[in-house]
Amino acid sequence: MNLLNYVPGDSFLHRLNPITKLAAAFLYGIACILCGNIGMEAAFIVLMIVISASAGLAGRALRLTRNLVILGLFMFVLQLFFVRTGAPLVVVKGFVLITTGGLRSALLLSLRVVATMLPLMILFAITPMNDLCNALVKRAHLPYRYAFIITTAFRFVPLFSTEFHEIQDAQRARGVDFETKNLIRKVQLVAPLCVPLLVSSLEKVNSSAISAQMRGFELRNRTSGYKEYPFHAGDAVVFATLAGMIAVSAVLL
Amino acid sequence: MIRFDQVSFSYPHGETTIKDLSFHIYKGDFVALIGANGAGKSTISRLCNGLLRPASGHIYLDGEDTCEVPTSRLARKVGFLFQNPDRQICENTVRDEIAFSMKVQGWPADKIKERVAEALETFSLKGEWFPFSRSRGERQRIALAGVLACEPKLLILDEPTTGLDYMECIHIMDYLTGLNRDKGITVLMVSHDMELVQDYAKRVLVLGSGTLLGDGPVNEIMKDEELLHRARVLPAQIPSLALRFGDRFADVYTIEEMYAAVKQG
Amino acid sequence: MITVKNVTFRYKGNEETALNEISLTVVNHDFVGIIGTSGAGKSTLAMALNGVIPHEFAGDFYGEVLIDDEDTVDHAAEYFGRKVGEVFQDIDSQMVASVVEDEILFGLENFGIPHEEIGIRLEKVLRELGIEDLRHREIASLSGGQKQKVAIAAILALEPEILVLDEPTGELDPESSQEIFGLLKKLNEEKGITVVIVEQKIKLLCEYVKHLVVLDRGKLQFDGVPREVITHIDTFKRLGINVPPVAELSAMFRADGSYAGDVTLTVEEAEKMVREVLHDSV
Repeated sequence: MNLLNYVPGDSFLHRLNPITKLAAAFLYGIACILCGNIGMEAAFIVLMIVISASAGLAGRALRLTRNLVILGLFMFVLQLFFVRTGAPLVVVKGFVLITTGGLRSALLLSLRVVATMLPLMILFAITPMNDLCNALVKRAHLPYRYAFIITTAFRFVPLFSTEFHEIQDAQRARGVDFETKNLIRKVQLVAPLCVPLLVSSLEKVNSSAISAQMRGFELRNRTSGYKEYPFHAGDAVVFATLAGMIAVSAVLL
Repeated sequence: MIRFDQVSFSYPHGETTIKDLSFHIYKGDFVALIGANGAGKSTISRLCNGLLRPASGHIYLDGEDTCEVPTSRLARKVGFLFQNPDRQICENTVRDEIAFSMKVQGWPADKIKERVAEALETFSLKGEWFPFSRSRGERQRIALAGVLACEPKLLILDEPTTGLDYMECIHIMDYLTGLNRDKGITVLMVSHDMELVQDYAKRVLVLGSGTLLGDGPVNEIMKDEELLHRARVLPAQIPSLALRFGDRFADVYTIEEMYAAVKQG
Repeated sequence: MITVKNVTFRYKGNEETALNEISLTVVNHDFVGIIGTSGAGKSTLAMALNGVIPHEFAGDFYGEVLIDDEDTVDHAAEYFGRKVGEVFQDIDSQMVASVVEDEILFGLENFGIPHEEIGIRLEKVLRELGIEDLRHREIASLSGGQKQKVAIAAILALEPEILVLDEPTGELDPESSQEIFGLLKKLNEEKGITVVIVEQKIKLLCEYVKHLVVLDRGKLQFDGVPREVITHIDTFKRLGINVPPVAELSAMFRADGSYAGDVTLTVEEAEKMVREVLHDSV
């Protein structure tokens, strides 16, 4: 269902410091961006799936990959026709449609999109939002206010989505047919739902703010957090490995 | 009116599951669906109008299998009053709000005008009101007026007492009882309030973990304490009181009956 | 102790007052139930008890609310947050965390409870509410009753003297509602916590509270022990609030002179009364 929610676990990945996880996801992405080798790029994707599997997330990783491949395909098609370097590959009535350069660059780009995004998506599966933000406040000195906004935004997404579905159900129950294929008609039908959704959202945000306020939100500072987020040997290993990966990618550029 | 035939259903995360459920609600009946939270009451009410679809089994509405019929078409026969009227209301005036369902269901304009006027009168509402700034009870009446204006054959009430004052609720229930008696509208009510069930329902379906634990006339069910206990439902006070006297008050279900019976000795 | 003196409040943009000249005292160790129809001002009153009103809502506020002789107007809203903890009506939106443990930690961390004490309080409150097994659960995966307990735990961890709850059983079935009331009764009796609860379910209020407050369109109608307040059955009906059927039955016997005892609030009491009227041996 939801491909971005946290999946509890006690694997090596789960136990890493949240900051390590965040940094690792970015560094892995950088390695993928630097890498100019198609085979290597594909290997990065497979490696990420294997790493996810070690945390019991093989299914999640495969589903994410499938969704990202759809995005990748879109990029592939665009790139295929726009890049005009290399030898002609497909010629229709004297007009060069696809070139070898286009094919190579399209393949590389689409794989790169998948390889770069995948670790960021997996990050959400192995890191509770609260831990990530608390660690950023404690270790990276991110102001708590911003951290709170991020966690709250994440927490409200499912609430709003539930509310939206229930409003939609209430409308379907009185005969509104949302199953129309006509896009303009669909927009016309969904637009009125924004009114009840907006009303209830404002109420929710307001009540959330008051509840946080009454529990001393304003008094909080960087040292308030109870949980400590120490770095362990495992975190060092991850950083070292990623540094190596980036170096290899840079060489294969 | 509506018939469940071996219906099963489960949510993707596997919470409430309906298992092989079969029952038949006849035209003109007034049925209460009772049970603890999670027993499947809401699921059943949403299966009736196609908001949810059975995983297996069939649901027949007026003899027609509903599996292939879209919700928008089922809505012409099945009216649904939600707990929270705010999810329904989206027009700027009460008049447009009541007309909304009839419009989407394709009623002719002159008929809509006539029905809206009637509904405003029946429910003591004003057509030019801005629905969002009315009280909760008025908003619930606006929603009900919109549902009933379409003349549904089956009306589903999801927890009519929540968020409504006792008196408002009684007014609505009395009105629906009249419709049930005079126009033969079939009512299916989901409720936790056993006093309300005792006072208004004719027949009760008792649900526990997605299966039917009991089905019978309201007076029979209300005095089956063992069954209600098994369904984790708190019995209504007067029938429960009567039971404490063995067979002595066997016919007693209401306050007035209890009073009269005790007075006779 | 909370003393409400002549409080009137009108939300900004509204013509009618939400609270109208309310005076009320909540003594220590009290268990107060507030009932009334929708729009009677129940939530507004609950929010006025700890300063959420007037601090967080714009409007005209008259009169004063004193918490142990300190005026709520003189301090910032969160000043009384620890002493008078409130569980708000919308259970989903008041949660700040996604995991139970973090939800309970939030207030403790904010109010600067020493870290060595936080762990102790966390475990204690989980144990008191019997939710140790929920500690690492995602809040979104909990049932309504479990969520309500987590919300109460998050406030209780701050060790408030007074706990205010706004319709905590609104979304719960009768069994879970009774469980929550049982829990509050235990906190009230064993830990001496003062409880103020806004509630629609009159049967539960009659069974559990020591002190019942009835509001109607912003005005205080009754304020007293349930057994006395509930004798005004006709007023209750006029206001649109139902009374337990057994109370109504006892009122009928009282009216015709066949029963001289108190109004009955539970089925057990009603049984005794009927046996008395019938001259049965109990």
